[in-house]
Amino acid sequence: MNKVNVLFFATFRTRAGRSSMEIELKCDTTVGELKNLLVAQIPALEASLHHTLVSINREFAFDEDPVPEGAEIALFPPVSGG
Amino acid sequence: MKPSNFPSIFSITEDEIDINELVDQITLTSTGAAAIFTGMVRGETSREGKAQGINYAPHETTYLEYEAYKPMAEEKMRQVADEIRARWDTIEGIAIIQRIGKLYPRTPTVLIACTASHRDTGVFEAARYGIDRLKEIVPVWKKEFMPSGEEWIEGEYIPKKGE
Repeated sequence: MNKVNVLFFATFRTRAGRSSMEIELKCDTTVGELKNLLVAQIPALEASLHHTLVSINREFAFDEDPVPEGAEIALFPPVSGG
Repeated sequence: MKPSNFPSIFSITEDEIDINELVDQITLTSTGAAAIFTGMVRGETSREGKAQGINYAPHETTYLEYEAYKPMAEEKMRQVADEIRARWDTIEGIAIIQRIGKLYPRTPTVLIACTASHRDTGVFEAARYGIDRLKEIVPVWKKEFMPSGEEWIEGEYIPKKGE
């Protein structure tokens, strides 16, 4: 198993009602599969999920990318700084 | 001086942005020009616009609350600076600062400054590129508080692989 830490920011933090969670994944889990697992645990995330950015270890990641062991994952909306 | 020795400053901060201090830090003896962009909280929005694909009408803003994924944001600021240097080899110093927290109208929230030997080196375009890229790939978000309620502002840009 692969235990990863998932961080939530902005609307995702609000919808999830928390800023992070740990989740155990099977070893070959992809980002897309991780998103589905998160929605299963936190249904409120589903509304945002079509418009989600994901990072793995602080680099942008995509649905087909595998989640490496012990990764720091983050979910957030398109950025709005400045 | 080799480009690798040129100063680059990146920061996500809750402190006031000190423009004079930052420009001083990226001014070399060979510097003759600095292009400085700073954005501030707009209290009154008079033109129509678009956010999250939804058109918004003219409105008032009481304050903005900014949050950042700080370590990734500072790494992405470094990437923006690298992209600037790859496009304009004339650029000497670069400062990229984003202030976060609760910020009221007229308060500077962001600063991009680039220095070069002369003004015709692309220094204006480099600063413009910097603020445009920050708004695309640096993980910072703001929540708008208005007399009528509050709302997260979301961007529209979806980064591609390798960005």
